[in-house]
Amino acid sequence: MSHGLVTMSYIVAMILFILSLSGLSNQETARKGNYYGMLGMAIAIVATALSALVSSYEILIIALLIGGLIGTKAALTVEMTQMPELVAIMHSLVGVAAVLVGYANFMDDSAGLEGVEKTIHEVEIYVGILIGAITFSGSVIAFGKLSGRLGGKPLLLPNRHFLNLGLLISAILLGHYFLNSTETSGIFPKLITQLESTFNLSHETSSWFLNHFEALKNGTFPLFLMTIVALVFGIHMVMAIGGADMPVVVSMLNSYSGWAAAATGFMLSNDLLIVTGALVGSSGAILSYIMCRAMNRHFLSVIAGGFGTSSGGKAAEIVGDVQSITVEETAQLLLSAKNIMIIPGYGMAVAQAQHTVYEMTKLLRGKGKKVGFGIHPVAGRMPGHMNVLLAEAKVPYDIVYEMDEINDDWGEVDVSIVIGANDIVNPSALTDPNSPIAGMPVIECWKGETTIVMKRSMASGYAGVGNPLFVMENTRMLFGDANATLQAVLKALNG
Amino acid sequence: MKIGIPKEIHDGEKRVALMPDSATHLIKLGFTLSIESGAGLAADISDEAYKTAGVEIVKTSKTLWKNADIILKVRAPEGNEVDLLTSGKTLISFIWAGQNPELLEKLAAKNVTVLGMDSVPRMSRAQKLDALSSMANIAGYRAIVEAAQHFGRFFTGQITAAGKIPPAKVLVIGAGVAGLAAIGTAKGMGAIVRAFDTRPEVKEQIESMDAEFLMLDFKNEEGGSGTGGYAKTMSPEFIAAEMALFAQQAKEVDIVVTTALIPGKPAPKLITSEMVQSMRAGSVIVDLAAEQGGNCELTEKDKVVVKHGVTIIGYTNLPSRLANQSSQLYATNLRHLLTELCPQKDGTINVNFDDEVLRGATVIKEGKITWPPPPPTLSAAPAAKVEAAVVPEKSALIPASLKQFAPLIVGVFALFSVGSVAPASFISHFTVFVLTCFIGYQVIWNVKPSLHTPLMSVTNAISGIIVIGALVQVSSQNTNISLLAGLAILIASINISGGFLVTRRMLEMFRK
Repeated sequence: MSHGLVTMSYIVAMILFILSLSGLSNQETARKGNYYGMLGMAIAIVATALSALVSSYEILIIALLIGGLIGTKAALTVEMTQMPELVAIMHSLVGVAAVLVGYANFMDDSAGLEGVEKTIHEVEIYVGILIGAITFSGSVIAFGKLSGRLGGKPLLLPNRHFLNLGLLISAILLGHYFLNSTETSGIFPKLITQLESTFNLSHETSSWFLNHFEALKNGTFPLFLMTIVALVFGIHMVMAIGGADMPVVVSMLNSYSGWAAAATGFMLSNDLLIVTGALVGSSGAILSYIMCRAMNRHFLSVIAGGFGTSSGGKAAEIVGDVQSITVEETAQLLLSAKNIMIIPGYGMAVAQAQHTVYEMTKLLRGKGKKVGFGIHPVAGRMPGHMNVLLAEAKVPYDIVYEMDEINDDWGEVDVSIVIGANDIVNPSALTDPNSPIAGMPVIECWKGETTIVMKRSMASGYAGVGNPLFVMENTRMLFGDANATLQAVLKALNG
Repeated sequence: MKIGIPKEIHDGEKRVALMPDSATHLIKLGFTLSIESGAGLAADISDEAYKTAGVEIVKTSKTLWKNADIILKVRAPEGNEVDLLTSGKTLISFIWAGQNPELLEKLAAKNVTVLGMDSVPRMSRAQKLDALSSMANIAGYRAIVEAAQHFGRFFTGQITAAGKIPPAKVLVIGAGVAGLAAIGTAKGMGAIVRAFDTRPEVKEQIESMDAEFLMLDFKNEEGGSGTGGYAKTMSPEFIAAEMALFAQQAKEVDIVVTTALIPGKPAPKLITSEMVQSMRAGSVIVDLAAEQGGNCELTEKDKVVVKHGVTIIGYTNLPSRLANQSSQLYATNLRHLLTELCPQKDGTINVNFDDEVLRGATVIKEGKITWPPPPPTLSAAPAAKVEAAVVPEKSALIPASLKQFAPLIVGVFALFSVGSVAPASFISHFTVFVLTCFIGYQVIWNVKPSLHTPLMSVTNAISGIIVIGALVQVSSQNTNISLLAGLAILIASINISGGFLVTRRMLEMFRK
């Protein structure tokens, strides 16, 4: 395939990718969008494989097949509750791929660039590997946290901001060193000579060193060191972020994986990679922004980790008695209600209760009641997590509402059921300026007639914030495992 | 305990304090009931209906008063009724303790316990026994009906072959329960309704009934909400502005319904005789405050008068004109109060002063005047706004207008500095990069929040495009490079297939 044809195929692929993302803007066109994406990817791969640059196919085909099979298996077997983990681990794969491509490109000196172009190329490689490595280690930690292999609590090392700053500065210094090493033979030989004279080493030893570690001469060493620094940075960054901020982290890593691809594109002078990377990067960035706004947190403060760095005073203590309710009373309440709103949170995903929730919804709808779902943007552990779970349970998407759609209509709601959610229904976010979550928009379910809160026990949410909703006059607490309790409610509704 | 319900003796009072329906409930609480013969006739309830419900019919009021421990009434006792009330008895009725201090003294001297239905505090828990609200609701409705009867024109606008008839314009002053009921009724009949109230928080309620809220362009006023959800007396400046508004409205509207009352005070005079004069002939004023002296200067209590061509209705007892249903609501209010008084359901009452509702309602306890009660702690009106902790504002180093442009300036500066050193090939790639970021920005904002997870998995798959980078390197002569590239291909293709397929799986699940 000639260069022109390949470029044209790339343009077609770019357009298909853009169409793919715009197709996702609503449910009707989303499936088509996904197919556009597949088609674009197929065209891009085939065109590249047929281009003059590719001449041997053994490794290519074997690798594609193995990778494809692994991916397919993962896609078909993953549980919908594990979607955040899958997404996180796939981000890490993009990161690894970017690092590998970067190294391969660095070792490949056939391009024969000179002067500024060469410097820019080196910078591109450096940045590409840097972003790739951060994406990789960050995503692995995110995966660990989401899958419960690592604790959800933020790890707050002392002086963590200085640690981050130190890592950043060392990455920049290493970059400078790296550029110097690639242009001259680097400072290492000089250093070795220095050491030789200081420690009276024999000349054989030092030349053995230099000959055997070719890397020391051409910049591989600083590149390698930087990769380690970037990996540590990625780990530290995500370790410091609490479980409730996970949606931001996941979408941020999504963005990073895009930037990594774009940096690779610059490195290889490939517009297709640049375009796709930029699309993915800006998509992830916007998602992170939306998530941050939904929590009224500043992006930087989420990334810097920790909670409550700037609150002015002590948050108000929550006083009052909770009023609990039995399964039978819950069923009675639901049967006498006309308009029911269900607010799911991460607890529903943990308890795998979405199917029982839908059974109950079906039953209540069959009795002529209006049942809706209210979804907070950061409910769950990744953007849109709750929607996917409800969709899996076959809840029709037109009764699933966003927070903004329902917050004005609570006057008409007779009963709302909060399933495994806490911070997203916390009134102190609106009333208590000293609350750690002050200013975060929340679902104002307490404005409805009665709120039933399903909870395992009286523990505070991920943010560690007490919730005055629980002691409100029109709130009833239904304690127990969400799924088991809902099944009991379902039985009571039937009986 | 024995409850007795005498026939109302006040002239024109048709209501009765017991309905057969409420009687059944009271008997269940353990009380025995007796009613004076013919007490319900004016409200279309026969003695037989009471008898069927298990109420004893007593011939004379004297016997009834003598035998009963608790007396339920509508009106405050008058004439010889006070003498009939003997020591140790309990009376529950409207009392208007604030307006009738002599009556209060007289009753206290009798060593009785008196609960005033007009003194029930306004709290959400007490709503079911709030007789003032249930009566006001009826009065508001009836006010419009009375107005319609005396108003010689249509309420609703019509366009007929014989010409156009404009809709009537109704002004409601005071948007309490009665005012809101009047607004709803007038609106239902097709009139254009405007409403005024000194309490700013009722604006929403007025607008929710599709009426126009007349804003008073007046600053330096903290709003007219007193405690307990009632209005309070306003400052002289406010009243002047208010009167100017009414004077101007009087020239425009056809019907004025006034409901302005301040608890324990004579009704404020809002409609002067000059305003009445300026109204169109045939207009109607319904003064619901006539009992407390009237909001209109020309109102005559319990009468309909025509002054300057304007009919002024001063009926004081509009609920009595819907005797059956107002009796029903009032009897239900009484029943709820007795349920509160008799928590054991054993037919005895306990005036528990720890209960805020009962404390508020009780005006005399065992001969001691307990009116006025301590102010209620809860109010139906929104509580005063809690002052948010004031965070001292950091003085900005850079003026706000400059701040807005700062990112732009920095961005442009960065672009120029890149442009000054970068070679042409980089610039062209950079152009593509920046433009794509913008496309991405435009496209992604349209994505529905419910599709954010599929969006992430599809972008995940698409970022597998990095496979292209590996593909072009896999054929390198250097084995190390082609091995690295091969590994990268493998990893990226996991992403591609996994991402697209899991997206497909998810999207298949979304259904209507």
